[in-house]
Amino acid sequence: MRIDGRRGWRRGGCAVAGFLTLAAVVSAPGIGAQSSAYLDFDDLTRELRSIVNASNLATMRSLGTSHQGREIWLVEIADASGPPIGQRPGVLVVGNLSGDHLVGSSLALETVRYLVGAGASEAELTEHVIYVVPRLNPDGAEAMFGGPRDGNRLNALEFDTDNDGRMNEDAAEDLNGDGIITVMRVPDPLGVYMIDPDEPRLMKEADAAKGETGTHALYWEGVDNDGDGFINEDGFGGVDLDRHFQHEYPYWERDAGYNMVGQPEARALMDFVIGTRNIAAVVTFGHSDNLVTPPGSGGALTDATELDLNSFADASNDEIFSQGLFGTPFQRGGLQLRGAQPGRDNDPGSGQRPATTVNDADIEYFETVSEAYKEITGIEEVVINKTAAGAFFQYAYYQFGVPSFSTQGWALPSAEDEPSDSGEDEPSDSGEDEPSDSGEDEASGSARGGASASGDARILSAFDASGEDVFVPWSTYQHPDLGEVEIGGFRPYVVTNPAPSLLPELGAAHGEFIARLSTMLPRVRIASTEVEAHGGGVFTVTAHVQNTGYFPSALQHGVRSRSVDPVSVQIQIDPDDILTGASKTYMIQKLDGSGTTQAISWVIQGREGASVEIRVRAEKGGSDTATVTLR
Amino acid sequence: MTTMKTHTVMLLPLVVATVFAASFALLLDARRLDAQQRGSDPEHTLALTWDRWLDHDEIGERMQLMQRTWPELLSLQSLGNSFGGREMWLMTINNPATGSELDKAGMFIEANVHGNEIQGAEVALYTIWYLMENYGEIDEITRLVDERVFYILPTVNPDGRDYFLDNSGSGARTGHIPVDSDGDGLFDEDGPNDLNGNGIIEQIRKYTPGAGNFRESEQDPRIMVPVEPGSVGDWVMLGFEGIDDDGDGRVNEDPVGGYDPNRNYASDWQPNYIQGGSMDYPFQLPEARAINDFMVSRPNIAGFQSFHNSGGMILRPPGSAWYGQYPGADIRVYDEIGETGERMLPYYDYLVIWRGLYTVHGGSIDWTNDGLGIISFSNELWNGGQYFNSPLLQEQQSGDSPISGQRSRYFFDDLLEFGDQYVEWAPFDHPTFGAVEMGGFHKLSSRVNPRFMSMELFHRNMAFTLYHADVMPMMSIGETTVELVSGDLYRVRVDIRNERLIPTITVKGRQNNVVRPDILSVDGEVNIVAAGWVTDKNRPGPTQMIDQAELDRILIRSGAPGRHTRTIEYLVRGSGSMTVEYSSAKGGTARTTIQLR
Repeated sequence: MRIDGRRGWRRGGCAVAGFLTLAAVVSAPGIGAQSSAYLDFDDLTRELRSIVNASNLATMRSLGTSHQGREIWLVEIADASGPPIGQRPGVLVVGNLSGDHLVGSSLALETVRYLVGAGASEAELTEHVIYVVPRLNPDGAEAMFGGPRDGNRLNALEFDTDNDGRMNEDAAEDLNGDGIITVMRVPDPLGVYMIDPDEPRLMKEADAAKGETGTHALYWEGVDNDGDGFINEDGFGGVDLDRHFQHEYPYWERDAGYNMVGQPEARALMDFVIGTRNIAAVVTFGHSDNLVTPPGSGGALTDATELDLNSFADASNDEIFSQGLFGTPFQRGGLQLRGAQPGRDNDPGSGQRPATTVNDADIEYFETVSEAYKEITGIEEVVINKTAAGAFFQYAYYQFGVPSFSTQGWALPSAEDEPSDSGEDEPSDSGEDEPSDSGEDEASGSARGGASASGDARILSAFDASGEDVFVPWSTYQHPDLGEVEIGGFRPYVVTNPAPSLLPELGAAHGEFIARLSTMLPRVRIASTEVEAHGGGVFTVTAHVQNTGYFPSALQHGVRSRSVDPVSVQIQIDPDDILTGASKTYMIQKLDGSGTTQAISWVIQGREGASVEIRVRAEKGGSDTATVTLR
Repeated sequence: MTTMKTHTVMLLPLVVATVFAASFALLLDARRLDAQQRGSDPEHTLALTWDRWLDHDEIGERMQLMQRTWPELLSLQSLGNSFGGREMWLMTINNPATGSELDKAGMFIEANVHGNEIQGAEVALYTIWYLMENYGEIDEITRLVDERVFYILPTVNPDGRDYFLDNSGSGARTGHIPVDSDGDGLFDEDGPNDLNGNGIIEQIRKYTPGAGNFRESEQDPRIMVPVEPGSVGDWVMLGFEGIDDDGDGRVNEDPVGGYDPNRNYASDWQPNYIQGGSMDYPFQLPEARAINDFMVSRPNIAGFQSFHNSGGMILRPPGSAWYGQYPGADIRVYDEIGETGERMLPYYDYLVIWRGLYTVHGGSIDWTNDGLGIISFSNELWNGGQYFNSPLLQEQQSGDSPISGQRSRYFFDDLLEFGDQYVEWAPFDHPTFGAVEMGGFHKLSSRVNPRFMSMELFHRNMAFTLYHADVMPMMSIGETTVELVSGDLYRVRVDIRNERLIPTITVKGRQNNVVRPDILSVDGEVNIVAAGWVTDKNRPGPTQMIDQAELDRILIRSGAPGRHTRTIEYLVRGSGSMTVEYSSAKGGTARTTIQLR
């Protein structure tokens, strides 16, 4: 199934068949033309397969299966005529980690198409390998293609979201039959929200300090199926896979799962990554951004944003976990620090803590890549920048130790109307702050460049200006429990995915970006060798090891996190024949790029005329050998 | 009804003093009475010996034997395979006649997650055996087996255990997934080697007169003493017995495994550079994952015990100071169990891991406490003080006596183990280091208790876990009253009790939402007008109204506190009967049916 054109989106739940007939994909043989439609799992699979089958540069396999049995596809793009693929520097691209971010899978698909076609030579596929996982969350994505659609980010884990002993007993209902789940606003003297006087489509929290009084309560569209007093508190899923990884994992938050990397989709990806040590850079297409706005001078990401209106509706279920709490009887005792034995009190402050900001020495690489990204894609401003706590790209930098990026992959529709210098980002002041480790309470953060308008208003006006229909106007509905309500709000998916017609251009741009990124990977070689004879079978052998790539052989944080192997330079002789100088295996923790060279010398004994091999291995920068003759 | 020993029956019936469950008569046989009268040991159904260390095959055989012997109460399963393909044997002890597994609080006992920390497996096996031998013989044991479920996993790391017992024993703490410890792209390519073929990985020392940093002790030349700063010795220590297997110029730099299987759990997990040996993500290890999968499938597990060695400690989480403190109500529970344990286990201290031992991120009991809501302990079995376990002898250990300092271990080995645990220094021609000497203590010294001291260690530690099992939550119904208000309107009061120490839901378990809330439900042809908790049954006063939409299914997220009775009051309209049921994940279910009249 394909969805193309906003028309289809407005048709309501019964219009599913209509999407098929509107399909506008060119199903040419070979790698085909770009797709200007969002693809469901079967169509995405078919499209990937047809590209792979038509190219000798790509192979495709499954990393595992989702809860509902869909494959997690991996496409590997490389020219097999080069060195062994597992020893080449690689870029990993992952898309559609959150279910509603379909555009991520489209960009990944188009990246594949671009790299096996126009971009093959720029990406130097004889030297590099590009790994693409287009859709990590196929079950969550599939939820867009059937039934009423909401902004579902989750996978299909059966999860008792409200922990009440009943499973998925209160999902949303499309009450007004428009095919999507939006928000209900209900006149309520106890409500804390009011209609925003500046933009009556939007709601704001009443500010008592300004003499304002709440007039409305907000809920998600639906009914209280289980009669527990809450609406839509336990529907489909699940886990947001981009909140499910090891860095700043949001412990015990409901969309983060029982434990990090516990879900089959996440494990499939992680097992692949940790077994593929040649991955030297990572890009995810997701809801978080560090490409349009790179880490600031303090190494922190820009503030996260969500739509206020949706956050207000979410808050209608905030009380769930505070019901059913009953006081416990007073009891004496409870030694707060029992176990403090004299002389055995280990220092509570000791021990290194994990980094939470990008290392100073690494920031320039993020800035450079960001510049390249904006130059190629023209994207200067994102719509939503979700909190990065538990995001996969954060793991890839903070624990896997490689340059790692994430982008929403498209711009606010009105971006082209803005002054051309609006993207000239100074290092953000707010970058000094620690990124929050929690997704909570971040909804009110205003988006960057929003001037006086709230995030919601800025987004609304940008879509309005572009003619994109992002907002369902409020209309009245007779609710079975709440009486007369109004239903309306942001169209889910429209705020998180660009118009399908934009996909070909966006896709090619992201393919080009990935190709450019691959040229920046470290490339470590033995640039030259020297032998100096001292007589009596004693020689000095010197190897000049050089990194001609842009990235260093390891980021500073890759060294700190001990996740990137040092560059090893090894002379293939009996260690006993080394008289002085370097040991047989010499380790370079970090070899900077852009032509940085380091000389390693051994004074050895050997037979005149004998050949001696020197091997260099850079985990993320390839390997090389050179042979010298002792004379 | 469970059959016990198939002996002749029936002398005097005893009524088991249990508050609940199939109150069946316990039958003493003639032989048991005889034995009691003679004051001799009981005759065992299975005469097992406990003075040797079992490898993984032997553990499996022993568990199968026990299961065949007591099939009504024991069931044996494998949780899966270790990385090396060994079965992870788990014994479930449950009496089906007194209820199904999930209706009873479960006690999970595991051991030997570190391959070299072997004796916990024997504690676990002994626990199964002791419970079975004494079921029907000792009333308290019978009651415990009838009230509770036990899940017993003697060895979490069977690969490491066999590597320790059947090989040289060096570096056996780890699991056996290959890890590139030296960052050269090769895995486990250069571990220690038993060069002299005596089955033991020894220390290497090299004689370097006037140029070393160790010297032989004046009191006992077998002891190597580091020299004081500023002076020189005649020896250097060159690490473990081994060669440069991969020809990279370094010796023993990438041995088997190279991680810590008890840092791979999912609470406060930290990456490798913060917590060495944690691997790449939680539950990456098949063994840890299998255990967690099982425990998640058994939400009735309310107690967790892990056995390690050594040091003599009863450890509670958290493992790291960064974490902060547990809620006071949870600490009170820990303190009471831990302090009782200290009295049961001489030489053992009750300690918080980070404060009393060292910092552990991602340890198993942090996960079971935080991720599963289970009161959890880890015992470090065996304390060196037990070599000379009297106050009189311990006074001598500080002075200059033959049992002071390092000498004490040699003394003990010489006179109590007859030199069995020590290998004398002997010359060896090493391919890299040249002329050296190799020698030192055997793998079974120091961390593993001497075999002859095993029984006491097994029994005391088992008794501690049985005490823990006994204080797990157990729900019951107390007094009920019905009062006619008017017409068909009744006031019904029901006492809901948890008479044991541990609450049905710990505060941490509630905060993390990892335990299903308790559910107080009503069934019957009644209409509930209001429900609330009675503040004090004996005095008039306010009732704490329950503000929930479904009063026939009240969620109690904070659970039932320990050693406490609450009274629920319902105002109902109806007739006939109503059934009130209190259902908890970890303390079972209690219900009562009330006639409205």
